[in-house]
Amino acid sequence: MTVTATRRLRPRSRIRESVFERSAPYVYVAPFFLLFAVFGLFPMAFTFVISLFDWNPIGTKTFIGFENFTTLFSDPRFWNAAGNTLSIWIMSTVPQLIIALGLAHLLHFARLRFANFFRMSLLVPYITSVAATAIVFAQLFDTHYGLINWVLTLIGGSPVNWLAGQLSSQFVIAVMVIWRWSGYTTLLYLAGLQSIPKEMYEAASVDGASGWRQFTSITIPSLRPIIIFTIITSTIGGLQIFTEPLLVNSTGGLTCGAGRQCQTLTLYLYEQAFGDYKFGYGAAIGVALFIMVVVIAAINFALSTRMKGSRS
Amino acid sequence: MRSRTRLAAAAVVTTAIVASLVGCSSGGSGSSSASKDFTFWSFTGINAKADVQAYEKAHPGVHIKLTEVGSSTDTAQALTTALAGGKVPDLVLIQAADLPKFVENPDNFVDLNTLGAKKLKPDYAPAIFSQSVAAGGQVLGVPTDVGGLALSYRKSLFAAAGLPTDPDQVGALMPAWQDFLKVGKEYTAKTGKPFVDNAETSIFYQEIGQGSEQFYNNHTRKLDYTNSQVKSAFDTALQAVDDGITANLTSFSTGWAAGLQKGAFATVATPSWMLGTLKTDAPATKGDWAIAKIPGGSGNWGGSYLAIPKRAAHPQAAWNYIKTSQSPESQLQHFLTSGSLPTTTANYTNPKLLGSTDPFFSDAPTGKIFTEAVANMKSFYVGPDSGQIGTDFLNTIINVENKKISSAQAWSSALSAIKQDVAK
Repeated sequence: MTVTATRRLRPRSRIRESVFERSAPYVYVAPFFLLFAVFGLFPMAFTFVISLFDWNPIGTKTFIGFENFTTLFSDPRFWNAAGNTLSIWIMSTVPQLIIALGLAHLLHFARLRFANFFRMSLLVPYITSVAATAIVFAQLFDTHYGLINWVLTLIGGSPVNWLAGQLSSQFVIAVMVIWRWSGYTTLLYLAGLQSIPKEMYEAASVDGASGWRQFTSITIPSLRPIIIFTIITSTIGGLQIFTEPLLVNSTGGLTCGAGRQCQTLTLYLYEQAFGDYKFGYGAAIGVALFIMVVVIAAINFALSTRMKGSRS
Repeated sequence: MRSRTRLAAAAVVTTAIVASLVGCSSGGSGSSSASKDFTFWSFTGINAKADVQAYEKAHPGVHIKLTEVGSSTDTAQALTTALAGGKVPDLVLIQAADLPKFVENPDNFVDLNTLGAKKLKPDYAPAIFSQSVAAGGQVLGVPTDVGGLALSYRKSLFAAAGLPTDPDQVGALMPAWQDFLKVGKEYTAKTGKPFVDNAETSIFYQEIGQGSEQFYNNHTRKLDYTNSQVKSAFDTALQAVDDGITANLTSFSTGWAAGLQKGAFATVATPSWMLGTLKTDAPATKGDWAIAKIPGGSGNWGGSYLAIPKRAAHPQAAWNYIKTSQSPESQLQHFLTSGSLPTTTANYTNPKLLGSTDPFFSDAPTGKIFTEAVANMKSFYVGPDSGQIGTDFLNTIINVENKKISSAQAWSSALSAIKQDVAK
């Protein structure tokens, strides 16, 4: 269609040329938006539609309006999954960002030999497949033969049945997330740190500011845009956590254990839609999750921009 | 000028992408391969490749595109997605626990009667074959194997606790589940170690596979929350937990596999298909295991079916494979090489099957034990939510083992979980 349009360019009037000149950028970005419409926008809209149906993928589908949502609000398993998701998110994101900030500070200022080696090795957990990570961590935290419990008993503690408890199983997942993402976030912070002019620190130390004072008064304010970015991305990622809870308790099926102790919202969605063949209900969970992510991301954004506004 | 060529280039790229998108969506249906060839989805870990290769060798010119999708559950989920709107395989293996959901919606599959299943039906054990028959009489699948029940035990651990080690004597020692609990208590008192790997699969799943009725009423085909056989199996499992004779190791978990090797427990319930798991997970224990009759008598856990989806491109080729690979002779051959128990009744009296022994299990008469386990199997109705209900009971028992709830609360806790799950 557009190909024929270019052929018709022959009568070279200036007006026409400028029309095409102006439309060119839209054509350049069109591939992305086309793909986004097909693979992003359409599935999203379609999920909303499915959530209004009682839909068995291989059976019947009937329109039931908002019934899936009313069931959802009185479903204790949904609230359990929502609570688990939030607690895993907090347990993983807060330490992860703090560790990353500390590590970045260290890598930037400490006089290290092979600094590039240390910087690059931070990415190793990130490029390791989640499945491999989950299997290794599941073995580390195994009740009977795991390394962690072995060390615990060695120093006089008693073994913990990590995956059986609500908080302990979520802790295992949080550790996996921290292990995987800290290095990536560190590199982002490191890039930010390198853009801060050295003179600022020199001037501060001439003025007699301590290392801590420099960290709070120069480093953090300068990194604020990057910190906001990482908070928002880790919120979106953290609320959608799926592979870790699915694989860490491999014998727990789609519930992450007998008591649904570490089942997250995405895992509950998957269980309902693909385990129990309730597509409509699964889609309703997806919509609820979507709203949750939007709300929390908005709160995050408002808080962090406000922080920025009041300080600068 | 430059901008125009750029524009043209961008336009070409855009049309190319659009074309490839359109190509993707239509490419699936236009298949031009020979009608003898077909696609086959199976599970990982059951060596489906060997069967396929043997068939290809015996039938020159036939090419089977085998995909080992994943676990039995993964395969059922992939099949569901495919049936809902994707490219379906010509032949698919479905595990017994996943089958009822498909039987409930028979229109997704080829009624095998139309291809000649009626003639084959008498070959198969009725209790097993009937599970793939829909309410309208359509036959959805042909049973490939059945999970006859048996009890595996470690001879050295039994001897150390002063228990007999001969399969016949062990079977005679524990004819019923109450005897099993009694022996278990003695063993644990003497050795200080757990007797059985876990209560949920090694006791509960076995006992509910031995009854004449399960979660559904056989006649009304409605859920029955008051079935005394299920309650009895549940109580046996809870009793084992309260007696402290279970190791609380979930079947197939890493800890379980390590426990098999290290002797963390002395017994484990092993349907015929699980023998291979023991061999791969605990190779060093070869010769220390033996197999005896399971307490409670005949029963079944697991087993699989071959089915042909309605939209299959080559149903006839797939049916030819079913017919050949699931004939009594082929099933016997398959048992002798892999150990999975035939579903064809002629084999249950075949001396070759009855006489077979297994060196890993101290040459115990596996053929005889497993055949007896399915010979008097009772047929009970398995409904669409049976799998989910079984999981809910199982999870409740695990919760008791993990001391999340007391055994007194367990029954009502299990029922409320089930009611949540089956509510539409």
